[in-house]
Amino acid sequence: MNAAQHILDALQRHQIDTVFGYPGGCIMPLYDALVAEDVGVEHVLCRHEQACALAADGYARASGRTGVCMATSGPGATNLITGVANAHRDSIPMLVITGQVPSGLIGTDAFQETDVLGMTLGIVKHSYLVTEAPEIPAILEEALQLAGSGRPGPVWIDIPKDILLTDIGEPKAPAPTTATPLPDPTAEIDEALAMLREANMPLLYSGGGVSLAHAESAFRRFAKASRLPNVVTLKGIGNPGYDNADQMGMLGLHGSKAANMAVDTCDLLLVVGARLDDRATGAVATFAPNAKVIHIDTDAAELGKLRATDLAIRGELRDILDSMADALIRQPLTIENWRQQCATWRKTQGFQTAINEDPHAPISGPEFMRQLTDIAPRDAIVACDVGQHQMWVAQYCRFDHPRNHLSSGGLGTMGFGLPAAIGAQFAFPDRPVINVTGDGSFMMNAQELATIRRHKLPIKLIIMDNQCLGMVRQQQELFYENRESQIDLDDNPDFLALARAFDIPTLAIQRTDQVRRGIQTILAYDGPMLLHVRIDRSENVWPIVKPGASNRDMLDESQRPTSTSAKNKESAA
Amino acid sequence: MTSSADHKTHTLSCRMRPEPAALERLCQVARIRGFRIEEMQVRTDADGLAIDMVLSGQRSIDTLRRQIEKLHTVCSLRGPEQALTGVRQSA
Repeated sequence: MNAAQHILDALQRHQIDTVFGYPGGCIMPLYDALVAEDVGVEHVLCRHEQACALAADGYARASGRTGVCMATSGPGATNLITGVANAHRDSIPMLVITGQVPSGLIGTDAFQETDVLGMTLGIVKHSYLVTEAPEIPAILEEALQLAGSGRPGPVWIDIPKDILLTDIGEPKAPAPTTATPLPDPTAEIDEALAMLREANMPLLYSGGGVSLAHAESAFRRFAKASRLPNVVTLKGIGNPGYDNADQMGMLGLHGSKAANMAVDTCDLLLVVGARLDDRATGAVATFAPNAKVIHIDTDAAELGKLRATDLAIRGELRDILDSMADALIRQPLTIENWRQQCATWRKTQGFQTAINEDPHAPISGPEFMRQLTDIAPRDAIVACDVGQHQMWVAQYCRFDHPRNHLSSGGLGTMGFGLPAAIGAQFAFPDRPVINVTGDGSFMMNAQELATIRRHKLPIKLIIMDNQCLGMVRQQQELFYENRESQIDLDDNPDFLALARAFDIPTLAIQRTDQVRRGIQTILAYDGPMLLHVRIDRSENVWPIVKPGASNRDMLDESQRPTSTSAKNKESAA
Repeated sequence: MTSSADHKTHTLSCRMRPEPAALERLCQVARIRGFRIEEMQVRTDADGLAIDMVLSGQRSIDTLRRQIEKLHTVCSLRGPEQALTGVRQSA
């Protein structure tokens, strides 16, 4: 059995049944091994390596299992990089396998040779250049363990072609490697409980680490037991679930005023599985200025990185949250006044859409998302791209689980949504999967319509088309005195014709009174369908914090410069 | 503007498994996390790589330590034995 066959054997042993890839010269031995009849791994041929990595990301993000992608050396590997960086920034478990030129040719500028190991060091949790074929089984075992354990992330294995072809004997399952146990946090948990009891205005702040640690149930149990008002990061959306009465929504740059006011006022901030990144905190020096900070995370390097903590707890989120929930069930917190205050903010300063009574009015992004979330089934998975539509989804769609909301948080990768939706649909063939995208993002991986057609994936595509790069336009309007630079997309292709070229039926809407019917139609259709939503070029995402400013200085629509607003409306007409 | 007085120097001693990119990983983490490598000494012995580094920077050396410890091939890390502050003459 050669090394390539061993790789497939290891994937199957780890119950990995789907890989996303694209063949080429140096990875051919692995593709040759895929031809065997008894291979229990389905290979999905995306049409660009970047989409392979992003599809593996979407698969992992939606399912919690490790996503796998593969490509050949040189351009195959470099095309993967954006998708792998995306997974790295959002701590998504991923195994990346690339072919490399034969061992003897490494360093000779051979055809399709690139120093993959060197150029990817900063975007992987770990990586390997295999130099000895017999090491393959142990490396795969370790790589899969690393990718999915602790703080997850992508692990890259670069394998020279000659090594893939080397016979290394019959498979022997290597001894599983195990992660080092984390320290016992009992003493810190007691201290955290004491601090919670002492606080008058404690606030719970959670991020993507909750679902990465498979701690969703423990988190909800803790949130329910503590009755803490809570805010979420972009990746934490869905953590509290539909039914949590104390949720204030997303904080930060495009968060709700309610969430940012609660952070600004609280006297204790309990941070769970979040890294206090700049999009969430704004100017960190003025973030939660009155609060003591308790930070719970699995990754020691995040504790105290950006904001000094009063108490740092490193450990398994599930165990910590369960212990804290037990204690709070026995002796609840008394924070009724604070909860009432937060409830009032939520009502008066939360995300609200203005219902436009005029049926012929242009479609508003927020109102569209509100209706989408009302109509879509509770188990629908929404994969966003990056830009204004992404923020409207984050603000106005409700999610019952963080894994139902796939959004490129750390890297902000335009072109993420369509391949991520493909990955999610492979993870959950029977669940509704919706890709909400913009006219800019859609064009970055539009070739993946071919993957949808080939596999008859019933993905619903919603293009929010404002004929421009809306988020850039918005920032040019607000922070660059309305000097528009390279944001016009008014020569977009005919998206309906483009979809039809891939046998995907379409529907186009542009008026408020068409929204409900449009959403209902695509969701009811048995197969993929594209909904083209024409929206106003001048619409902005509100509120917004000026880059570098404090979250307490959020701008809302009432602070929009009227002259620029009028100009945009005029140009849109 | 920050003055050179804001920089502190630190010494770290690190043991790593001798995999192909070990030193690059270490140097890259130090650089990207805001530190400059002022001195570096590397020996290979039966246990792998032994690296002594003098680093300078403004950020927390404790955070850098935790970031270096995350590298899978780092076996152990000692230090810092913090040196005098403000010893660098140019930033």
